[in-house]
Amino acid sequence: MTSVSGELDKLAVQFAKGELEKAEERLRRTSRVLTTKAAIAQTPKQQIWALNKTKLYRYIPVVPEAQRHPVPLLLVFALMNRPYILDLRPGNSFVEFMVSQGYDVYLLDWGSPGPEDRNLKFDDYALDYLPRAIRRMKSISGATEFSMLGWCIGAILATLYAAVRPDDGLRNLLLLTAPLDFSKKENITFALWTDERYFDVDKTLAMFGNMPAELIEYGAKALKPVENFVGNYLRLWDNLDNPAVVESWHAMNTWVTDNIPMAGAAFRQLIVDLYRNDRLMNGTWVVRGEKVDVRRIKANLLTVIAGNDHITPACQSETLQDKVGSKDKELFRIRGGHIGIMAGSDAARTTWPHIDAWLDSRSGR
Amino acid sequence: MSESNKDNQAFDPFEAWRGMRSAGMDAWAKPMTEAVNSEGYAKASGVMLDAYLTASIPLREILEKSMTQALQQINMPTRSDIISLAERLTQVEMRLDDMDAKLEELTRRPSEPSPAKPSALKPLAAKVKRTRARKQ
Repeated sequence: MTSVSGELDKLAVQFAKGELEKAEERLRRTSRVLTTKAAIAQTPKQQIWALNKTKLYRYIPVVPEAQRHPVPLLLVFALMNRPYILDLRPGNSFVEFMVSQGYDVYLLDWGSPGPEDRNLKFDDYALDYLPRAIRRMKSISGATEFSMLGWCIGAILATLYAAVRPDDGLRNLLLLTAPLDFSKKENITFALWTDERYFDVDKTLAMFGNMPAELIEYGAKALKPVENFVGNYLRLWDNLDNPAVVESWHAMNTWVTDNIPMAGAAFRQLIVDLYRNDRLMNGTWVVRGEKVDVRRIKANLLTVIAGNDHITPACQSETLQDKVGSKDKELFRIRGGHIGIMAGSDAARTTWPHIDAWLDSRSGR
Repeated sequence: MSESNKDNQAFDPFEAWRGMRSAGMDAWAKPMTEAVNSEGYAKASGVMLDAYLTASIPLREILEKSMTQALQQINMPTRSDIISLAERLTQVEMRLDDMDAKLEELTRRPSEPSPAKPSALKPLAAKVKRTRARKQ
């Protein structure tokens, strides 16, 4: 009887010890993932141009020149997030995929604005920085025509450029989760938060100069508070024994927590000209004295809309199709969120092949 | 296959708790999302930010003023000096970029015959190139 009870005690001690070791290991993993940065943006690239904080990278082609698409592809991401979401990690990178499909891929990194950049506007980004980067890209690639993919705020910049400089060789324009139409304010949470009754943009910028990254990050996360502040961490805790999920979570968390401020004047334009007055779509937006008329856009157009996008609802992207002058245009709806459609686990099976197929037939000689 | 896997799985005492937690999260997420998407939330967050800014801006101005005076006293550049210097650097960078573009255009032009009359332009381009080389 005594020996049986002794054995049971031993088993209980062993079990408790094992559980403790497991818990310790889980805590160690959690701590590593939360306090370190994942190895992101690994696709080999070369910096080919820089101006102020902005840099242009060319990804090293892996396909022989004769088999490559002659029309280069320029990627333009948002101003307040790092662009490496497009090259998140090996095996889950849009850039890596497109390079392997034979595209000559260039990435524009706007960099992090300092106090000296507080007066930078959309005008400067779209009419000073972007054309110069495009000139350099054309010079390196030897091409006269190019494709441009704009994502989120990058899509506003790409649209602006395409409307104001329609004859600069832009052959294909790809807009991903593009916040362009601000007319249906009741569907846009950011429009409610930044309404002039509640948000004093000038006072905020008088204090900070540039819009702080922390405020932007909080705003993006607060749209879905339970999912972002609680559910996200529980998902990690539940999957700590699954290395694939942990690594993917780590990479995404590295990106999500690596935000940058937005130049003050550009942020003011975003709020006042776009969110409050919808100037792009109603044709009253003037940049550097030029009226932005989206009817002047003539590049082939692919608009990608995320069905579950809570940052840029579909109503903000779909109306452009009817206004542009492009003859060749397509609206592609896909299930997923604002970032998930390009960096989620399904992107490689859904969004990327569609973009590749669309571009492939439009990137020949 | 999946059946045998199920059989092999160890008993997890927390499984039921996890299920309850997920259900609770789903039930919690929707009203919270609706709450942040309301006029009340927009107003409350606006009031909070405004209160913070109203309290912080005068303090920041006093700090900036005294810091500027102190730095000027010891002949050190102030924040605005550094900002203006950085702005000028960007202007210089832009001028350099413009010059780079022009230089590239000039160096490319002679070797790029016009598609309309390539044979007529080739000797001219070569002549321009030779003259430039002599000048350099």
